[in-house]
Amino acid sequence: MSGLTYEQSPTTEGEEISNYTINFGPQHPAAHGVLRMVMELDGEIIERIDPHVGLLHRGTEKLIEYKTYLQALPYFDRLDYCSPLAQEYSYVLAIEKLLNVEVPERAQYLRVLFAELTRICNHMLNIGAHVMDVGAMTPNLWVFELREDCLNFFERASGARMHSAWFRPGGVHQDVPLKLLTDIGDWVDGRLPELFGDAMSLVTDNRIFKQRNVDIAVVSKEDAVKWGFSGPMIRAAGIPWDLRKSQPYDVYDRMDFEIPVGTNSDCYDRFMVRVKEVYESAKIIKQCLAEMPEGPIASEDRKVSPPKRAEMKQSMEALIHHFKLYTEGFHVPAGEVYVATESPKGEFGVYLVSDGSNKPYRCKIRPTAFSHLQAMDFMSKGHMLPDATAILGAIDVVFGECDR
Amino acid sequence: MAKVLHSAPRYATNEGVRDALCAALGSMVVDSIEEFGEIVITVKRESIEDALRLLRDEHAYQQLMEIAGADYPSRPERFEVVYMLLSLTKNHRVMVKVSTDEATPVPTVTTLWPVAGWLEREVFDMYGVMFDGNTDLRRILTDYGFEGHPFRKDFPLTGYTELRYSEEEKRVVYEPVELAQDFRSFDFTSPWEGADYVLPGDEKADVPPVDDPKVTEKPSDTGAGAKADEKAEEKVSAGAPAEEDTGIDTEAPETTEDQPDRKASEGDVHDTKGATKPEDKE
Amino acid sequence: MSTRDEPALYPPYQDTVADSANPALHDLPTAKGGDVKQPDAEYFNALQTEVNDKGFLVTSTEDLFQWARTGSLWWMTFGLACCAVEMIHVNMPRYDMERFGVAPRASPRQSDVMIVAGTLCNKMAPALRRVYDQMSEPKYVISMGSCANGGGYYHYSYSVVRGCDRIVPVDIYIPGCPPTAEALLYGVMQLQRKIRRIGTIER
Repeated sequence: MSGLTYEQSPTTEGEEISNYTINFGPQHPAAHGVLRMVMELDGEIIERIDPHVGLLHRGTEKLIEYKTYLQALPYFDRLDYCSPLAQEYSYVLAIEKLLNVEVPERAQYLRVLFAELTRICNHMLNIGAHVMDVGAMTPNLWVFELREDCLNFFERASGARMHSAWFRPGGVHQDVPLKLLTDIGDWVDGRLPELFGDAMSLVTDNRIFKQRNVDIAVVSKEDAVKWGFSGPMIRAAGIPWDLRKSQPYDVYDRMDFEIPVGTNSDCYDRFMVRVKEVYESAKIIKQCLAEMPEGPIASEDRKVSPPKRAEMKQSMEALIHHFKLYTEGFHVPAGEVYVATESPKGEFGVYLVSDGSNKPYRCKIRPTAFSHLQAMDFMSKGHMLPDATAILGAIDVVFGECDR
Repeated sequence: MAKVLHSAPRYATNEGVRDALCAALGSMVVDSIEEFGEIVITVKRESIEDALRLLRDEHAYQQLMEIAGADYPSRPERFEVVYMLLSLTKNHRVMVKVSTDEATPVPTVTTLWPVAGWLEREVFDMYGVMFDGNTDLRRILTDYGFEGHPFRKDFPLTGYTELRYSEEEKRVVYEPVELAQDFRSFDFTSPWEGADYVLPGDEKADVPPVDDPKVTEKPSDTGAGAKADEKAEEKVSAGAPAEEDTGIDTEAPETTEDQPDRKASEGDVHDTKGATKPEDKE
Repeated sequence: MSTRDEPALYPPYQDTVADSANPALHDLPTAKGGDVKQPDAEYFNALQTEVNDKGFLVTSTEDLFQWARTGSLWWMTFGLACCAVEMIHVNMPRYDMERFGVAPRASPRQSDVMIVAGTLCNKMAPALRRVYDQMSEPKYVISMGSCANGGGYYHYSYSVVRGCDRIVPVDIYIPGCPPTAEALLYGVMQLQRKIRRIGTIER
């Protein structure tokens, strides 16, 4: 019984009571995956939380070292499986930065377009799950319908519902049909605001939802910076920091959008920042669709991106390039870069070390949830046990990415 | 630096930053490079905490985003610990590095940023780098009771143990790894682009030239032994069969174009009249 | 949420074999090449005809048990990784798995089938087995996705169990990375089929 604090109970007269420890997870529906939290409780008040992560540690970074650059790309889809394309983004940009390869404009627009679609897709899951964690069912059913639409768009672009592997070094894998773009345009104008607005009208002013979220886990600006917060977590703390704005990549510098920030830095603000971001993403998507030029969708540098299949039927050189790219892969100049993009959950970074060969020497992935989850302890201190699920929902943690 | 063609994140300019930071860090700097648009400053291991405090407090690198480990087994100090710093106010990134080996601990930076706690735990877990002053240096990602540090280059990809449920013991047991098929690692490096291995057969090409070349002009040169040599001496080989002129000129075969048409097939074909015999349409 | 009271949406199974008045339930013909039929249409038609003809149904307890088992396959929410997202999708309105009586259940004590959705890692394996042990009999396991089937993309990793069948016995394997929601739905229907075919009380 050492280590536990004893105190006089006000009710049991002299009988000693102590804190007790409960195990949250690893199999718990509100844990958003496989999280184990050892909680020390004083009654229903959380005294201390020790999150145990790594239950989904798949050794991705080690496996990447054994694959060529292109073969390693699909691992990024599987990191944060709620927003697959956003993870690929950092990786392809890191490779492009080492290779210094130019990406055609249409590919840049397509990547921005689909990254924003991914953001909507991710927020639909998180918003739905967060609402469900604090006890509401209906909005989740509605926003998942939107998510299903997003998955259909991904399927039409790449052939896969979730793990697209569509962003490639030098551009994207294949062009999209025009009908898909018009359908996305219609969806952003019609179905998305309608259905999403309906779902959010049930939640945002809901008394129960506010009671469960307002003033829960308030984090000061200083703490948010010190604990390495990023994404909606730092924006909810009132710091207008968005990598899309401050460190633009691809054509984000041409996009006209706003950064929603919170005022109170509680779970409700985090939720609302995400809700607003969905509308901002929709704005970006509309702008992309309006401005997207015609042209090639991948770099013309045949040492990086493969030739078209039709070209291969005619040209021996194209055939050789294709063969070389899909067996040996391309060689990346020796060096190291750290490239971070604004994934829906925050700063998703890739630290890529190349030794000049066709395989990465080291690929460190900077997960967003890792830092946020670490702050779980101080954020939940003094809150009630049921608040833990609300805090966890507002962090937006996905374990594929957190544990890698 | 060549012209920037890529579209990776663009932050504030690097111009002059490296010199300014190196000057500020002074004797703590071991090395600094600026490549691919990234500034990497290597500092002395003992002074990492001071260096990062200086960068945080006086050069406005407020956020520690990541600590990455890396393993270079050929170096005397094989491990590198890389700190990624981000300045929210200057909109700039910089990487700070230290190197260490298995035995030497690196001073912790949890005193500066609480976020470093887990990040250091991860580097410890994956590489076995010790952090002096981190009070909670437990394993974080690997299995409970895991042995070894998996991201070291000498740790095999598939590890040493795997587990299964044992029906006899009614629990999950660990066993040595047994793969049905080994991981296939293809070497795609083309031999004409400087592969560093010897192709099969190439090792013979490097044999130094001998003074008297080995020839087999006499049977004894073959080295087959005295008995075989005797036998070979006896044998008189017949002359090569010369081509004899028979005096007959063979004509060239007829060209196939003159051959008559093949008779129409009268095989067992039913109900396909429409296909085989098109109806005459007047 | 249930759609069972909307008969217009889900019409009864079409009879593809005429006059299958009431053959013995287990001697039904198997599907011929090129036939398009609903899964186990004869079985359901035979049942329906019997009820319509006589107004009551005589059946063996085994059949009754199977009917009950297949009609309420409550699954244990065991989302491990990527496949869990598709597993959620199949429960959402578009695919609506509840119309087959397959509903999510967060407690192992009350669930019949465990869908292992995603990469099973070494650290998680004992917990998976514990949850399986806690489930009450009869219990079934669906292994969803390449990772759960045999390690998949992560087969050679030092921390991944190369197939969840090393830990728990598996009834149905669903391929894919991840399997689409339709594939999971099909897998669940295959499990119902398997339960019907095996037909024993004890499992």
